[in-house]
Amino acid sequence: MRYIYTLLCSVLLLLSCGCGKEKKPRLVMVTNATFPPYEYVSGDTIDGIDPAIVRKIADALGYELEIQDMSFDSVIAAVQSGKADIAASGITVTEERKKQVLFTHAYVIAEQAIIVKNDSPIKAAADLKGKRIGVQHGTTGDTFVTKNICEPERFANGPLAVAALKTGKLDAVVVDGEPADVYISQNPGLVKLPEPLTSEEYAFAIGKHAPELHALFNRELYKLRSSGELTSIIRHYKEINSADKTKKYQSASFRDRLQESIYINFIKDGRYRYLVRGFLITLQISFFAVLIGLVIGFGVAVIRSTADSTGKLKIADFLCRVYLTVIRGTPVVVQLLIIYFVIFGSVNIDKVLVAIIAFGVNSGAYVAEIIRGGISSIDKGQLEASRSLGLGYWQSMRYIILPQAFKNVLPSLGNEFIVLLKETSVSGYIALADLTKGGDIIRSQTYDAFLPLIAVAVIYLAVVMFMSYMLDLLEKRLKRNE
Amino acid sequence: MSETVFEIKDLVKEYPGVTAIDHVSSSIKKGEAVFIVGPSGSGKSTFLRSLNLLENPTSGEILFKGKSITGRHVNINKFRQQVGMVFQHFNLFPHLTIQQNITLAPVLTGKLSKSQASEKADMLLKRIGLADKSNAYPNQLSGGQKQRVAIVRALAMNPDVLLFDEPTSALDPEMVGEVLSLMKDLAGEGMTMVVVTHEIGFAAEVASRIIFMDKGKIIEEGTPDEVISNSSNERVREFFSKVL
Repeated sequence: MRYIYTLLCSVLLLLSCGCGKEKKPRLVMVTNATFPPYEYVSGDTIDGIDPAIVRKIADALGYELEIQDMSFDSVIAAVQSGKADIAASGITVTEERKKQVLFTHAYVIAEQAIIVKNDSPIKAAADLKGKRIGVQHGTTGDTFVTKNICEPERFANGPLAVAALKTGKLDAVVVDGEPADVYISQNPGLVKLPEPLTSEEYAFAIGKHAPELHALFNRELYKLRSSGELTSIIRHYKEINSADKTKKYQSASFRDRLQESIYINFIKDGRYRYLVRGFLITLQISFFAVLIGLVIGFGVAVIRSTADSTGKLKIADFLCRVYLTVIRGTPVVVQLLIIYFVIFGSVNIDKVLVAIIAFGVNSGAYVAEIIRGGISSIDKGQLEASRSLGLGYWQSMRYIILPQAFKNVLPSLGNEFIVLLKETSVSGYIALADLTKGGDIIRSQTYDAFLPLIAVAVIYLAVVMFMSYMLDLLEKRLKRNE
Repeated sequence: MSETVFEIKDLVKEYPGVTAIDHVSSSIKKGEAVFIVGPSGSGKSTFLRSLNLLENPTSGEILFKGKSITGRHVNINKFRQQVGMVFQHFNLFPHLTIQQNITLAPVLTGKLSKSQASEKADMLLKRIGLADKSNAYPNQLSGGQKQRVAIVRALAMNPDVLLFDEPTSALDPEMVGEVLSLMKDLAGEGMTMVVVTHEIGFAAEVASRIIFMDKGKIIEEGTPDEVISNSSNERVREFFSKVL
């Protein structure tokens, strides 16, 4: 136990001080890289119009640029809280957002396009009333549709919405114009309506606490526009995106299509690596979160049981109850976001560590109640016998009660660990490239929902089956005396 | 006069609505085998459990070898290490082997080293004829075997006194004998014992003194002959006429 604890501590230390060398000052840009041609993952890097422009300006201003990928609904919060310096994610300028951040001059005038199936009765914006409309959560399309048409179905990214449209779950998708062109070039059955729903301006968002940076950015942006470089960057990315992806597999047999689909989703550009890396991150988070959960869980369970049976440790017991109530009463995603944006809001901390802490603290609450149940399932004669031999309360806990309690609750604990493993799939909310996010990245590149999702599901399933097998072995080992 | 192990002064134990022990005073001398008998609910077990503080007295005082154990600054663990307890339901530790059941406490309390403790365990197991069960688990033993192991588990701490709380009540009849004969041997060796039991015949044979309790009070106290056969107390005579 002590060995594992030491190991855990040293790994946490390693994780937390991974970023030692610093030459130039750092400029952190946040984006949601599922929005071609503005931003998308290409190989190992995030590329697109926004990264290219920001990189140009960062170079000119003498900054080292660091790009972080996160969900679109978090990018504004990230600059607001100071987690990032600039949000560049095809962000539309709106009055609401202006209240929260400083916008640079617009670098693109974009439109919200409507995508429908070829044979759809929807021919113009006026036909959208009463239809099922899909949008990307948090985008201007989302806001506009919600305000002016109806409650849309909100997806984490564009390709997911397009996939839903293709399978008939939606009647139309409202997304930004350029990505819409890419989507329809990928999906032969879909068309973009000629008349856009609205048009809008894209600009970069900077925190209100950094007006100097805002001024510098506007100055550099103006220079880029005057030199014509801005236009050429935008044109360049639009071209490579449409050229790269227009060829769509339309092969004859199912087998050929499947083969090609496997090739495109996993092999081409080494895309399987997103899954491999994501898998390792998921394992890392789950493993250490389980350890933290066990430590917290045992501690809280012993405090609560002791308080219940002896009436001592009143204050500690109260704190434990608060912890249990808060953690079990709020969703883990919310806890993860709070720990990342609020508790570690102004600290530069490794996201894997944040996730380990968040999931560990979360799991601890459930483990605690499971183990407390285990403790109270032990006959009180056990404690009496142990105490009558002259062992202290804590010694009795350690050598007599907890080992038996642990054995009794092992199936429930195993269940909790399985749940925990799967819950880590929300790590993408703080832009961690875990297994689920790895599948998302592939999907955003190939516009294919089927294979990446199936692959992700199969990997989770395999891990869970392996875990169940190991727990089974452990249970049998512990039950050898029965 | 031999030395006093327990001195009980005006002991009271109250539960909400019930007085389990009602102003009891007595003493246990070294080498005595004191048997506490009486009807169910008379407070025998509560009295016995109070002796090693498994029950916290409501008032009164208990002295162990002349020192109060009911005061404020008493090291309960140190005190209990000198008092062995045998339970009705054995309370062996099911996750430990027989050997580990016996050696755990002496080693953890620092009384014996690991090797000393296992030597002692081997010796004790041999004595009760269970040397071959050393690595078995409690669930692989019969009830009688379990209770004998529980007795030597207590003996491994070298206690000054052994408390027995109805040690044969949970046993099948054919297993009672083996436990009683071990207890008789111990009494014969001069082990100080306090026994709560319903085995009146056994008490009559082994006890150096019998305490009769009813409704939380000691009604009569004396040699087996005095209490069982020749009591002047109506209640006591009635009880023994029913059970004998």
